[in-house]
Amino acid sequence: MTTRIVVLGEHRDGQLKKISWEAIGLGRRLSVELGMEVSLALVGSEIERLAREVSGRSGLEVVVLANDHCRHYTPEAYCEVLAEFARTEQPYLLLLGHTYQTMDFAPKLATMLDRGMIPNCVDCRCAAGQLLWVRQVFNGKLNLEVSPKGEPPYLVSLQQGAFPASEEDLEAPPRVDHRQVGLAEGVLRRKLLEVMEAVQTRVDLSQAEIIVAGGRGLGSKEKFQLIIDLASALGAGVGASRPVTDGGWLPKEHQIGSSGQSVTPRLYIACGISGAIQHLVGMSNSGCIVAINKDPYAPIFQVADYGIVGDVFQVVPKLIEIAREMRPGHPGSP
Amino acid sequence: MRILTCLKQVPERDSRYKLNQDGSRVLEEDLVFETNESDLYALEEALRLKEGTGGDVAVLSIGSDRISKVLRNALAMGADRAIHLKDEAFERGDAWGTARAIAAAIGPEDFDLVLTGVQSEDMAFAQTGAVLAQMLGWPCATIVLEVALEADTGRIQVKRELESNVFERVELPLPAVLTIQSGSHPIRYATLRGIMQAKKKEYRVLTAQDLGLSPEAVGEMAAKVRHHRLLAPERKKRTVMIQGNAEEAAGTLMDKLVNEVGVI
Repeated sequence: MTTRIVVLGEHRDGQLKKISWEAIGLGRRLSVELGMEVSLALVGSEIERLAREVSGRSGLEVVVLANDHCRHYTPEAYCEVLAEFARTEQPYLLLLGHTYQTMDFAPKLATMLDRGMIPNCVDCRCAAGQLLWVRQVFNGKLNLEVSPKGEPPYLVSLQQGAFPASEEDLEAPPRVDHRQVGLAEGVLRRKLLEVMEAVQTRVDLSQAEIIVAGGRGLGSKEKFQLIIDLASALGAGVGASRPVTDGGWLPKEHQIGSSGQSVTPRLYIACGISGAIQHLVGMSNSGCIVAINKDPYAPIFQVADYGIVGDVFQVVPKLIEIAREMRPGHPGSP
Repeated sequence: MRILTCLKQVPERDSRYKLNQDGSRVLEEDLVFETNESDLYALEEALRLKEGTGGDVAVLSIGSDRISKVLRNALAMGADRAIHLKDEAFERGDAWGTARAIAAAIGPEDFDLVLTGVQSEDMAFAQTGAVLAQMLGWPCATIVLEVALEADTGRIQVKRELESNVFERVELPLPAVLTIQSGSHPIRYATLRGIMQAKKKEYRVLTAQDLGLSPEAVGEMAAKVRHHRLLAPERKKRTVMIQGNAEEAAGTLMDKLVNEVGVI
């Protein structure tokens, strides 16, 4: 009988990622609802200090799966170690954060275990002893309720920020189960050559009080000037969603979202941005969010405080006009 | 270099969705379909690799007759031949059922590299490429921005996107599967000449039986995830929708930002 929930923690530079604390929070909740135990597993090398710290803070037992080849992440080493762990422990549920790393290895792990995997969940409920998971589909315009078929273990990843993080420090005595694990010959084929941090960006939007951001709806590099003009009239920073930087309308360093910058200005004005989740995770904690989009069903409206369903090419020039009148003498004014 | 690019047809980004009676599916009648964007980036990468080193680019898609538009467009963009997996048994598959069908189509071929997009815009599982790699027993790299061939070594180097402006460079032996992220190179358009040439290119239609697959091995029957129902997303905030024409709406918004929110 499989009666254990295992949260797979993701760590970087000796720190557990925030999304993993969110997974711990949900793991705890489900352990109560399902009457199961919950523990945390960490893969790596020389991570005992982290394991003790996380165990003390969370009160969970932490299983360290240690192997020298796991010092730096590679999907093959991680999957080998985790598949072996899953086969011996037979957990009911493996909970992960939906991160770029999870996207890289978890489908492989699930396939090795002959299981499916439910990615990027935003909600979960327990019905008739079964867990039902909610995920976003069709560009965030609809949600889909799903459940895994077949026998456990079930693999599920959680969307960043969708579940409350386990914040409280329980100051429990650390319980760490250290396991040195081996790797079979020849499993490592993908080799990490280097990790590159982008050079310190010249565009730091993290301190901006106001950000005006544009998206695919602007249509071209030339038309994107409208966003720059509004930002200038408001004394704001200029942000962009991925299609803008993909299309070369603006340098990459203006990109806001999971692969770019995360920002929390007091005011965020999103123009012609549909609101893909990859963008929302980078700006949804802003103080006040304004969305201007011609598609009334665009997911950006789900996080907006104020919304205008309309054409950015008609609305934004009017905003520029008013802003210039309000701030005479400002560089953005005529 | 023999490259396969997998393409998926998805509803247009601005689509409005209507659900069927029990809310289990979207109604397709009013939808307009297009090629999934990151899959087009994968095709662009494949065509560039071919231009650099020579070789052959095949494209593959799964679905009814309507997906032939995706394959014809890919041929017009410069792909050399198309494989259309067409069978009711392939429909409504998850990553597992879909990857199983693609793996069977790859079996008798001799590809060095298989490219997919990072994820589809409709189901967004972001798994088919990685599951396919595991089924084939090939190495895989996901979320790839750049691909460089190392001449005569049978290996490739790729640049992967990580979170928060961090990247990594990894090396892997061929054959391999890569999932391509958007933004690497601008996607080319089909030219009139390309469209004319596409008509003469090889276009094969294969059924489950042609691939030696039983209906239980693919599509919905093989799915490891059960779909229950579609729901409208919950609003995280009570959004104030501002009405009126552009001028009125702009005026109301600025007034609220100044007087109610106090941020300007």
